[in-house]
Amino acid sequence: MLVALIIIVPVFLMVVSLFVRKIRPLGLINAAGYAGACVAGVMLLKVFLAGGCVPISLWGWIYIDSLSVFFLITTIAVTFAASVYSIGYIRLEIENGEISFRKAGSYFQLFNLFSFTMFIVPLLNNVALVWIAIEMTTLVSAFLVGFHNVKESIEAAWKYIIICSVGITFALLGIIFFYYTSSNDANVRSLEWASMLSGSGMFDPKIVRIALIFILVGYGTKAGLAPMHNWLPDAHSQALSPVSGLLSGVLLKISLYAILRFVILANFSVGYAYSARLFIFFGLVSLAVAGAFILVQKDLKRLLAYSSVENMGLISLGFGFGPFGGIAAGLLQVFNHAVTKALIFFCAGNAVQAYRSNNMNMMRGLIKAMPFTGASMFLGLFALVGMPPFSIFISKLCILVSAFQGGYHIIAAVMLILIAFAFAGLVYHISRIVLGSPPQALPCHKESLSAKLAFLFLGVFIVGFGVMIPQGFLDLLLSCQRLILGQ
Amino acid sequence: MTLNIILIGFLAATFLMVIAKRITALVRTFRIQSIFLFLYTLYMGLCQQHLELFVVCGLVFILKVVVIPLVLLRIMRRINVEEDLGLLINPQLSLVIALIFAYLSYLFAHNAMGLPYSQALIAFIASMTVVCIGFFLMVGRMKALGQVIGLLVMENAIFLAASVIAGGMPFFVEIALFFDIFVFIVIVEVFVYKVNRLFTHIDTSKMQSLKG
Repeated sequence: MLVALIIIVPVFLMVVSLFVRKIRPLGLINAAGYAGACVAGVMLLKVFLAGGCVPISLWGWIYIDSLSVFFLITTIAVTFAASVYSIGYIRLEIENGEISFRKAGSYFQLFNLFSFTMFIVPLLNNVALVWIAIEMTTLVSAFLVGFHNVKESIEAAWKYIIICSVGITFALLGIIFFYYTSSNDANVRSLEWASMLSGSGMFDPKIVRIALIFILVGYGTKAGLAPMHNWLPDAHSQALSPVSGLLSGVLLKISLYAILRFVILANFSVGYAYSARLFIFFGLVSLAVAGAFILVQKDLKRLLAYSSVENMGLISLGFGFGPFGGIAAGLLQVFNHAVTKALIFFCAGNAVQAYRSNNMNMMRGLIKAMPFTGASMFLGLFALVGMPPFSIFISKLCILVSAFQGGYHIIAAVMLILIAFAFAGLVYHISRIVLGSPPQALPCHKESLSAKLAFLFLGVFIVGFGVMIPQGFLDLLLSCQRLILGQ
Repeated sequence: MTLNIILIGFLAATFLMVIAKRITALVRTFRIQSIFLFLYTLYMGLCQQHLELFVVCGLVFILKVVVIPLVLLRIMRRINVEEDLGLLINPQLSLVIALIFAYLSYLFAHNAMGLPYSQALIAFIASMTVVCIGFFLMVGRMKALGQVIGLLVMENAIFLAASVIAGGMPFFVEIALFFDIFVFIVIVEVFVYKVNRLFTHIDTSKMQSLKG
């Protein structure tokens, strides 16, 4: 019931956005709808935990276990924040003459379609349908990346479509290999999670190893893992800011969800250690690439995009240290990064609108020009780089602890050095934006109420989870960890 | 025997794509390749007498033999750009590389995957070769449409691979995949027009405003 409600919300809002012509009511209806989805998500979590995290199958199409619930509520939370932020953002874009009224209407249609495709990914029962849903997220969000219809944005959208489609085509090959070994060795002629999992003990390890590489490279492209990350900084920097927040906060994670599913399937034939090695490899490469590019960035949103690559690397490393508590830590990082990155992208959106440029050299004195945004951005920055008492500090610390417990001393040391690069780059660039005195010519800018509300909503998670993680959420994470390790 | 002839045709069409220098030639050879894919599914349908296989076969024909080439040719007509595909690697060398792919696919299928020696192995090697060639076309051709066709070639090959090693995907998954390809080609059409309008060309090697 709750699940049906969650799926129907974006569809309903999509239909509404076809008929409501005025932008302001449309934005409000949108936000109200996702607020409803949020409530439904929290209730789903409660019901699920009360039922002892037992997987639920519905109508033959939907399969919900701890992992689905975790990714679903992360997606809903960030989408809600983005829908609230959109109200003010889109109005200002229209006032600035960046987009027309007509296009604003199509923004809401695409936004809802995009969130619909993201909502169904964690819920679907069938691996091939998950694949199709993920491909649909690419195709829909390409319009949101190329929304401004200028050279740069269309170039970014083109790269995004092509690179992600190729990546995901490799993932399809991986799925076919899994299907082959499942139908050949385990006699399960089905692509449904539960039935594949029941036969996964009999999979041919040789083929599973190859298939898992295809899956990791394929979905890893979409998840922004280096060296397949080339589309990411372009797409994130060119998309509208609420969408950048969604891309970075949720879309990358949705892809990670698909990877995790296959890791679970591979557990019983090749063991978790094999997946862990792959995760560690991609994690370290991502950290190294992102660290280097963060230092030399000039464009604010590209800087944040590379920080997403860095965080995906960290999460991947967390999964690499999986058996020692790293999975729960990695998943916690997934949630924390989603909310923090959404916050800081929204702040960046306000800054870009005020300074009319993405170039960080043009931006100075944000905290004087727009006190609320500046302060949020500063807090977001320190949350993002992992300072206490914010939530990312906790998850980073947990990842480190699991690394040392697993005896990965050298990898942990390399990881710390690479994080330090990213730390230095982010703090240097963003503090230059926030501090200082604003340029004389800067017109007076008021932050919209909706943006402030979105910041506050995300801020509650950033600060709250740093101080104390709710017991229910922790139970969910641990249940996911057991699921992924196949215990 | 029939199967081998179909596979040879499939591979030959793919090698023709490797040496194609013009976009329309690439589209036409893509159509030939899709016809062989259609023949393959038809043959499978006739052997196994499943209604579902005939439906899939019909969809292959409609979508890959008729609709997609028509859409691609229409794009070419409308944007009215020069036909040259922009080869980064010349046709002769491309052909040599394609042959190397074939050998590597053999090694991959036989040694890494450990498939038993059979008809299916040969078909699987052929499809893996075409996957590699499709990827090669995407990387080695500068025009945007070259990349799109490369991707469609990879998709064709994966369809064949699924059919030979696993006896095809479940029916509704196949239908959903066709739907996905259809949406993909529609969206690509929209974006090719946008690229052409803003850049006045569709040469992706000249799209370099975003860096670092």
